Amino acid sequence: MSSGTDKDVEVKDTAEEHSTNSENTKPDSMSKDEAKKFYEEKGLDLSPDVPVKPKPIPAFEKSLADKVSSKFGDKISVDYVRADRIRVTAKRENIVDVAKFIRDELKYDHAESVSGVDYPDSSEIEVIYHLGSYTDEKLGRQIFALATRVPREDVPNPGSDSTRTPSLRDVFYSVEFHERECFEMFGVYFEGHPDMRRLLLPEDWADIPPFRKDFKIKGR
Amino acid sequence: MTTQLPPGMHIETVDEKIMTLNVGPQHPGSGHMRLIIKVDGDYIVSCDPDPGYVHRGEEKMAEYRNYIQNIPHLERPVIHDSSNILYPYCLGVEELLGIEVPERAKYIRVIAAELNRCIYILYWLAIYGIFLGHSTMFMWPAGDRELFIDLLEAMSGARVTHAYLVPGGVRNDLPSNFEERCLRQVEYFEKRLREYEAIFYQNPLLKARTEGSGILSRTDAIRLGTTGSVLRASGVDFDVRKKEPYDVYENLDFQTIVMKEGDSYARSRIPYLEMFESCRIIKDALKKMPKSGSVRTKLKPNPKGGNDEVYRRVESGRGAIGYYIVSNNRPEPYRVKISVGSFRNLICMPYLLKGEKLGNMPAVYWGLNYWPVEADR
Amino acid sequence: MSTIAPQFRLSRFIGSLFDLIFWVILIFSLVGLPIVFIVLFYIKLPVINGQLMTPYLAMTWMADPSRTLPIVKSFMHTTIFRVMAFPGFGFAALLAAATIFVERKFLAKMQLRVGPLYCGKIEGILQLMGDGFKLMSKEIIIPAKADKPIFWLGPLLFVGTAGAFVALIPVAPGWVVANPSVGLLAVFAVIGFFPIIAVLTAWAANSKWTFIGGLRALHQMVAFEIPLILSLLGVVILSGSLNLSQIVQSQEHFWWIAFLPIGAIVFFITILAELERIPFDLPEAESEIVAGWLTEFSGMMYGLIQLGTYLKLYAFAGLFTVLFLGGWNGPMVWPPFPQDIITQGITIGPVTAHFPGLPLFDQEMLNGTLWFVIKTVGVILLILLPRGVFPRVRIDMILHTGWYKLIGLAFINIFIALGLLYAGVLGPGGLLH
Repeated sequence: MSSGTDKDVEVKDTAEEHSTNSENTKPDSMSKDEAKKFYEEKGLDLSPDVPVKPKPIPAFEKSLADKVSSKFGDKISVDYVRADRIRVTAKRENIVDVAKFIRDELKYDHAESVSGVDYPDSSEIEVIYHLGSYTDEKLGRQIFALATRVPREDVPNPGSDSTRTPSLRDVFYSVEFHERECFEMFGVYFEGHPDMRRLLLPEDWADIPPFRKDFKIKGR
Repeated sequence: MTTQLPPGMHIETVDEKIMTLNVGPQHPGSGHMRLIIKVDGDYIVSCDPDPGYVHRGEEKMAEYRNYIQNIPHLERPVIHDSSNILYPYCLGVEELLGIEVPERAKYIRVIAAELNRCIYILYWLAIYGIFLGHSTMFMWPAGDRELFIDLLEAMSGARVTHAYLVPGGVRNDLPSNFEERCLRQVEYFEKRLREYEAIFYQNPLLKARTEGSGILSRTDAIRLGTTGSVLRASGVDFDVRKKEPYDVYENLDFQTIVMKEGDSYARSRIPYLEMFESCRIIKDALKKMPKSGSVRTKLKPNPKGGNDEVYRRVESGRGAIGYYIVSNNRPEPYRVKISVGSFRNLICMPYLLKGEKLGNMPAVYWGLNYWPVEADR
Repeated sequence: MSTIAPQFRLSRFIGSLFDLIFWVILIFSLVGLPIVFIVLFYIKLPVINGQLMTPYLAMTWMADPSRTLPIVKSFMHTTIFRVMAFPGFGFAALLAAATIFVERKFLAKMQLRVGPLYCGKIEGILQLMGDGFKLMSKEIIIPAKADKPIFWLGPLLFVGTAGAFVALIPVAPGWVVANPSVGLLAVFAVIGFFPIIAVLTAWAANSKWTFIGGLRALHQMVAFEIPLILSLLGVVILSGSLNLSQIVQSQEHFWWIAFLPIGAIVFFITILAELERIPFDLPEAESEIVAGWLTEFSGMMYGLIQLGTYLKLYAFAGLFTVLFLGGWNGPMVWPPFPQDIITQGITIGPVTAHFPGLPLFDQEMLNGTLWFVIKTVGVILLILLPRGVFPRVRIDMILHTGWYKLIGLAFINIFIALGLLYAGVLGPGGLLH
């Protein structure tokens, strides 16, 4: 049960969370020790921003990642291997082969989501397939993130510019609607997709793809 | 055709025998979406779902707000299941920021999530009932929802949009005498649930109508990447709560409901049976919960995630909800992708409705546990 | 000064009242009186004290109140009264209104609700009036590409046909609007109009939903008309008459439902289908085809369709009562009219008032009406019950039920009736007659 003092702190806490310029905010000039002292005086628990201790690499996930990297060598790069999560980046020329390998050899059988991430600084758009498995018991808690990068154009013309990548629809049937969403939101054209139409946006949408970073929300 | 049409627009030729029906967005049986259905007589030839009427760009909005400010608007896609749609966000942010959650808060989160799951399923069941013309099945669950809404109101202070789960625990502690009240209401609710069986699920007309309609085989359910009750109705034993237990689900006593038939009836029955399991979870969690202790790890103001990314998922009333959060050392997330069960089950709609009778459309459509607002985000 | 009517002046209010009275008197004397005379010329007037009432003498009821009741009584035996008030439209509409109220309360209790509550203080009894006024005040929207004459005609035809159906139902001995010797055939003929109206309006509205709904209505009603007719043949065989009043008279000792339960069940199911009620409300299935063939109706056009539907409901329930439940037959429970009032009049203190022409209704008619209403309301409640219990079925299931199962059962029913007839149990010279 929360005591009275707890609640007082909590009210203060919420106020701080919502205002970036309140007096309790850590000045940027402070060192880490100073900052810790600063927060302890305020009665706040200081949790580190980033996990401090690196976790050990789990063996099962490592074996899966090794299978992929031994097959494709330097065509792909394993970004990280963590508990239940593996992430692999492939070039867009190889992504269909890698996806087929993942489906046939590693027994991942469906895509949970297809996300696009826009990186205007490096002029690239990343497409990430989060793959999961229903058939294999061992893979129940695993998510395999397969990423690829496609070039990004400053003046997009969805469907007709160089922002395109092969579709994985023939490998994983379940990406059909996810890829359509990625197409309209980021302008990534998926070659070989049978039905590359818009899904969520209105048919007469005439602006740039809205999830790109250079599309600003009005009033922000 | 010489003119270049923009993507998303196309000209189609229509057979004279075929009638094109726009089921939605202004149709009592559609919800906030449109199904472009072509019928030949009473049989559906093709179905093209057209969601997006309630697309609000939650993912884009999340890029403009910091991790705490994102809480109230990320629950908007499905306000009837607001705890469950916030759950993976909280788990993900906790992983990003490296926060430990107090033990009592984990139990309270599970209780809130299961109460919310019941609220959602009851709402869904009510609409399933009225879609099949069973008005009593509309009124009963809609009334019994109040039991859980009252409980969650006592917990969080809001009837529908609770915003109760926050990264680091829950917003506030349980009120006094909550345990007894919750136990009493859950037990009464279980009694009510058994009455649903008699009036709805054992109804011969309902069985005759939904059994054997819209069959989704096990292979197809896996291939189409379905999730939640649709998947389990087709005989795949997959529940994130069991396969990848988050918080305290591994300590709690419940089981996954799986049916083999894969038809509309099985799809409608699985959420119903899951409500019994939810009640079991709630009762078990109330028993095992630490009676006192902190319920929230305080975050420092304006927390920043590292250069990292995280994918966390939970099981909601409509299937797995996954959050993919990318952070780049700033107080706001760089990208938030919400992968929701409704959107993943949408792909079944053209697949299942093709060749069905028009009269089966509501049963198949709503049996997919599809929530248009959530799918559009 | 009142905030509701800030410009209120008592003198103007009184003045406006006088204005009102003046106009009422003027319009009554210029329009009302001639109409009363026209009506009086058409109705058959009674003979009072050996003198035939003429329309001119009839107006003397204002001077001689003792003539009021005989005139009212004679008016009650005219056709216009029967059509408009008692066994016809007014009675049926009143019962239909009661039915709607009962249905809403009944369904609400079943679904753990309260139903209409606020309108009219007592349990929302005036809710229906409120709904009616709302429908009347709403705009009637006609689709631009509709076939307008037919679209306008649809609701009127529907109410008219339902009214024609109501006219054939005998309520009490001698109290029926139309009493043709082949009354049952007339009923079949009237029922046959409903699918035509549905299809006509559905086609005229020029909408896809109404079109599908109209086709569904046509399929459903045609499929269920044949078992409906066949299920009633057993009653005709046993009673030996097509006249509805004679069928009721033949059930003086026992009801036909005792011998023909299968026929009664088949007829009841076909009633549900003909009335488009749950579980057979496919032509109006809102989750599939919006509102079926009623999609484009708005305002009072929709109100007329609803009125017609409930008149139809009353007529079908009445038909069930007449054919299977013995109509007006029942033990005499209505108390006889006190003889004192007829012979001595009412004495209050020093004043004694004589009322020639009493009693207004004879005891048999009141008793018959009572039993008829009780039975009909029971049947109506049974018709309403499935709405709270069953979901909607599918069109292929309903057609399969109609064409295969019900027709078979109806034939079994006919064979039972024939067996009873030829075994000499019932019919002329039978054991039980």
